[in-house]
Amino acid sequence: MVKPLFEIRGLFHAYRGKTALSVDHLIIPQGKITALIGPNGAGKSTFLRLLSFIEQPVRGKILYQGKALRLFEPATRKVVLLPQEPYLLRRSVFENVAYGLRIRGQKKGLRQRVYEALTLVGLAPEEFAQRPWYALSGGETQRVALASRLVLRPEVLLLDEPTSGVDAQSAFLIQKAVLEAQRLWGTNLIIATHDWDWVSEIADTWFYFAQQQVWEDIPLFVPGPWQKGPSFWVRPFRDGASLELEAPRQDSPGLAVFSSKEIKIYLQRPDKSLNILDFQIFKVSLNKKLGKIFVFLSREDISLVLESGAHLSLYPGQKVWLSFPQRAQKWL
Amino acid sequence: MDYLLEGLIKALSLLLKRDPETLAAIQVTLKVTTYSMAASLLLGVPLGFGLGFFDFPGRKFLRTLANTLLSLPTVLIGLLVYALLSQQGPLGNLGLLFTPLAIAIGQTILALPIVVALTAATIESLDQKLRLTLLSLGANRRQLLLSILWEARYGLLMAAVTAYGRVLTEVGISLMVGGNIKWYTRTITTTIALETAKGNFALGVALGLVLLLLAFGVNFSLMYLRRKW
Repeated sequence: MVKPLFEIRGLFHAYRGKTALSVDHLIIPQGKITALIGPNGAGKSTFLRLLSFIEQPVRGKILYQGKALRLFEPATRKVVLLPQEPYLLRRSVFENVAYGLRIRGQKKGLRQRVYEALTLVGLAPEEFAQRPWYALSGGETQRVALASRLVLRPEVLLLDEPTSGVDAQSAFLIQKAVLEAQRLWGTNLIIATHDWDWVSEIADTWFYFAQQQVWEDIPLFVPGPWQKGPSFWVRPFRDGASLELEAPRQDSPGLAVFSSKEIKIYLQRPDKSLNILDFQIFKVSLNKKLGKIFVFLSREDISLVLESGAHLSLYPGQKVWLSFPQRAQKWL
Repeated sequence: MDYLLEGLIKALSLLLKRDPETLAAIQVTLKVTTYSMAASLLLGVPLGFGLGFFDFPGRKFLRTLANTLLSLPTVLIGLLVYALLSQQGPLGNLGLLFTPLAIAIGQTILALPIVVALTAATIESLDQKLRLTLLSLGANRRQLLLSILWEARYGLLMAAVTAYGRVLTEVGISLMVGGNIKWYTRTITTTIALETAKGNFALGVALGLVLLLLAFGVNFSLMYLRRKW
């Protein structure tokens, strides 16, 4: 049996006592493009730093191809991270890209490999190789940072928001380059992003991160303020509508969590009167590989993502009704 | 004001004629400052790196201490080193008092806080992303350390230049623990002090210019080096 690329067991990580990520069990398969999707602050960056072995979790195990590794072990060099904010060393573009090869002692064909990596990210080597680190645009900086990783031909490339803050052209070139790396060297790609379109186009498999956890299917979060009723909690909205839920055990609940399977979507207002809320669709995204449609909805200060069957013809700007169960799956 | 112009002419003539006393003073100055700079950089850069890079209890206090020691008066250092090295002192049996080495020890104490404080400040001001970047590219412990120092090279150079300026121009330590012995421990600055006391202003000005010329030479070569990087 092929060992999974990564296996995570009982993982818990915290910064200064504040939970950063908690994952019971997770398997990232070999040879796939895996997307980690979810809002900012969900724990994706933390997860990537843990996968790259740069940080050691407070508790739990991360197995890379069945083996637990620690920082500075030679085997960790096969896993390469591109951090969210690109940072270039204070040297020329050439020396930046060559750095990883030099510290690995791979000086053979150095120039050729650096040029190849620059070409891969769409930067003409003759024009860019000798430029200093400060004479680059944001998109070019990100692509040089990517080239510095691609030149290593890593087994695993961890990309943290690779296209946030770059223009569409750079985003396109970055996507092209990482797919080419996968094709040429069989590099496993793990991409953390909040850009659903990007993932929709290339991901084979994905995990949803929110609230410092990984969720099996996309959860829906309804934040407070909750007002206490006789035996339930009420979430009032400004337009007079409200959501009424059975009282949780804790005194002051924060987030009500629903599984997207429990939520029904209607094109017309259904007859039921309780816990029906109208939402507006602001985006519809099709994932061709997974054959799924993601619908993004908003109401006042709440925004949700729902998986939808293809039978409903939904479009941005449309008003729809969601029916919520009277009991939240859990409370956070 | 005539002695300023006179001093300039005299400075040139002293250098051109290779006046042996002046050359000896230059030589002693270069020797002791080289010793003290080498020692303070060897000790100060690792200390400053540790202070700027690692987070440990008492770090803030040590930073404040280093900053405070920037104001150490040279006469106080002279006094301390004198007390240590004099016959009755704990290190008296080494017989170092009134030797170039004694001056170098005092100057090292003078330069060390400068190197430590400025190195720590440089390392602290480095982007937090640098460490993550180096680790993500696969640097091991040694490569991480060396690469961080290399990234901080301009700041470290500035620390060295500042410290060098201080040891080159100090007079208190050289006078007190060097003893201003001609041909042996007489530096440019102690010569200036002596000549001024003798009323020989022109020679004093001349030697002052020589000192500045020396400083210019050092800084110029460092700036050239910096451009090459």
